[in-house]
Amino acid sequence: MPLAFLFEKRIRGFRVIEIAAFLCLTALVLVVYFSKAHAGHETAEIGDVDQQIAETQHRVRLLDAELAHLEAPARIEQLSQQYLGLAPIPAKHETPDTGLMEIARQAAEPPPKDSAKSKAATGAAPPAKAPTAAPIATAKTDAKPAGAPL
Amino acid sequence: MSPIDPVSADFPNYREPYGPAQLWRWAVEMVWNVERAFERSKASGRAVDDTRLRIFFVLSIFSLAFVTLGLRATRAALFAPEEAAGHSAPPLAGARADLTDRNGELLAVDLTHYGLYLDPREIWDTDEIRRKLPAAFPKLSPERLDKALHGGRREYLAGGLTPQEMRGVHDLGLPGVSFEEEPRRVYPLGPTAEHLIGFSDAGGRGIAGAEKALDGELHAGAATGEPVQLAMDIRVQAALQDELQKAQAKFGTLTAQGMVVDIQTGEILAMSSVPDFDPNAPGHSPIPNLTNHEAASVYELGSVFKAFTIAMGLDTGVVTLDSTFDVHAPIMVGGHLIHDFDKGDSQLALWQVFTHSSNIGAATLAMRAGPDRMKTYFQRYGLFKTAPSELLESARPILPRQFTDQTLAQIAFGQGISVSPLALATGYTALMNGGLYRPLTIRKVDPAHIPDGRRVISEQTSYQMLQLMRMNVHTDPKGSGHKADAVGLRVGGKTGSAQKPEHGHYSKDNVSSFVAVFPTDGPINADRYLVMITLDAPHVTPDSFGFITAGWNAAPTAGAVIDRIAPFLGVKRIITADAPLPGQVAKPSDMAE
Repeated sequence: MPLAFLFEKRIRGFRVIEIAAFLCLTALVLVVYFSKAHAGHETAEIGDVDQQIAETQHRVRLLDAELAHLEAPARIEQLSQQYLGLAPIPAKHETPDTGLMEIARQAAEPPPKDSAKSKAATGAAPPAKAPTAAPIATAKTDAKPAGAPL
Repeated sequence: MSPIDPVSADFPNYREPYGPAQLWRWAVEMVWNVERAFERSKASGRAVDDTRLRIFFVLSIFSLAFVTLGLRATRAALFAPEEAAGHSAPPLAGARADLTDRNGELLAVDLTHYGLYLDPREIWDTDEIRRKLPAAFPKLSPERLDKALHGGRREYLAGGLTPQEMRGVHDLGLPGVSFEEEPRRVYPLGPTAEHLIGFSDAGGRGIAGAEKALDGELHAGAATGEPVQLAMDIRVQAALQDELQKAQAKFGTLTAQGMVVDIQTGEILAMSSVPDFDPNAPGHSPIPNLTNHEAASVYELGSVFKAFTIAMGLDTGVVTLDSTFDVHAPIMVGGHLIHDFDKGDSQLALWQVFTHSSNIGAATLAMRAGPDRMKTYFQRYGLFKTAPSELLESARPILPRQFTDQTLAQIAFGQGISVSPLALATGYTALMNGGLYRPLTIRKVDPAHIPDGRRVISEQTSYQMLQLMRMNVHTDPKGSGHKADAVGLRVGGKTGSAQKPEHGHYSKDNVSSFVAVFPTDGPINADRYLVMITLDAPHVTPDSFGFITAGWNAAPTAGAVIDRIAPFLGVKRIITADAPLPGQVAKPSDMAE
């Protein structure tokens, strides 16, 4: 009878059930102890990671702000103008995608052999200008309009 | 003593009714039974078994209790709630969410700075402090340091130290020096879009601009970590601001201000007022520089009002585009002489009244329409009240005390009424978007949820106004806005030049304005943008032929802005060969677009 054995069998004066209960209790205490110790360790690690995350987030925000400052359009424009001599592109220098091939073709063509000097020397009429890509835009006239604008 | 009831013994079938007395009796019997249990067991020879059972029973209870406690402890240790680990700390008081433009570019951000403290009780070498601390942190006031060194308690020395500054001081290892974190609002773009973004005080309260207008949202956003997005496009803003600065330098204006608006959604894509200031240190700028003149100042804006008058005339059917006006001589209205800027005109069609900017024509139209129609329509355009906007700076207009024939005739061409450029732009969007009045907004608008507008003019009238605007810039050679005609961008616009009222009379200085719309082609609900430029007291330049009117300063400024912002707004150039020959006068029916 296993149940009766637990209650009746004695080992050095202690019933088996009592020893088993003691072992269970000890095991429970140890489990709780190690669990708490482990949890404490984990909590400390989580705290460290939290701290690292907070510091990283702080650094990311700092870097974001720094990036926004460095990439400010006004600053970029000033620097590009100051050091590279760049400026907003006039409309007449713009071309649609379809015009790129024509521009490349013109750039690849060799320059005309008869220079202006030779033309003047020979007195020959200048050859007809080779057709070029249609200008994308014409320069605006700055002439005074007929009526003064109000 | 047995608690046997004599009544029950005599009458075995008798049952006492349930009640407090019976319950009490039952409890007493139970206690009696437990107390006498061991005696009964002993009497029956089962004393040992009974004791074992009792011990087992007590053991089981204790074991169950320990197991329960153990499991709860394990659970508490291993599965603690997340906040216990310090994950979601509440935001600091006064914390504000990030402010971004419509593309997510950072405009304003809370960054942790540090306050510097000094406790003289922990210092034994004050000379070392005096020598090293100012060297590492030059912004430190020597008087404040002296006062703290001679004090008897921990004192605040300086605030707003950047992490680098804090590290520099910290690395000195000075005793008695400590730091405390403090949030601080930083505007990484500095003096870009500062009037629209605004600024906040050290306590995290919005003072001006979007920072003040969206104060509640920014505080709420700090808790969720969600940024608050503005309608502004920083690329458009930078281009506008740059051109305004150039205009101010070129024309020597007191101020130069402008805005760019999405006509269909009412979003303010850019708003600027020059001279500017650095919102990171607003106290270092003169007070007038802090003013967003686009919203907070009112001006007599002049002929840009003619668009409203003509739209009223067309919408009520009082006139058509081909109605004619006699403008050969000045007219007298209410004792006030109204005349035109001389262009040698004698008779003008309505569309020429617009493109030649005829005061006489506009005043005559107002008189024909009558005061009731004029007042009704100008109220609809929102010109008689503060522009509805999130910006709390939005200024109230200055209106005539009485609406007489004279004042109505003056209002028709923009004299005698002062409104903010913001109010004017709001009215213009209604003229250009199909006739719906919508308050302009600094918030980003979902294209699927554009707010309903209030109809002020018909779609047909709105379309006609678009045509007139285009004629004034491109089609009519005598139009006043030719210098705004950015190549291929189908710009339309209206100039406005008004003398500045000063001390009860009009001075020689003027306020030049230009309201541009582009592109003017396409259906009435197509994507379209409004650019408004206002220059306060521009001067003559070598290439302006002695003129200080808007066509020579505000219009080219608007054209330059449009040239630069069109690619950002997705407006492509379309080159057509419809430029009229010099001297050729176009008619509405001739308009190619």
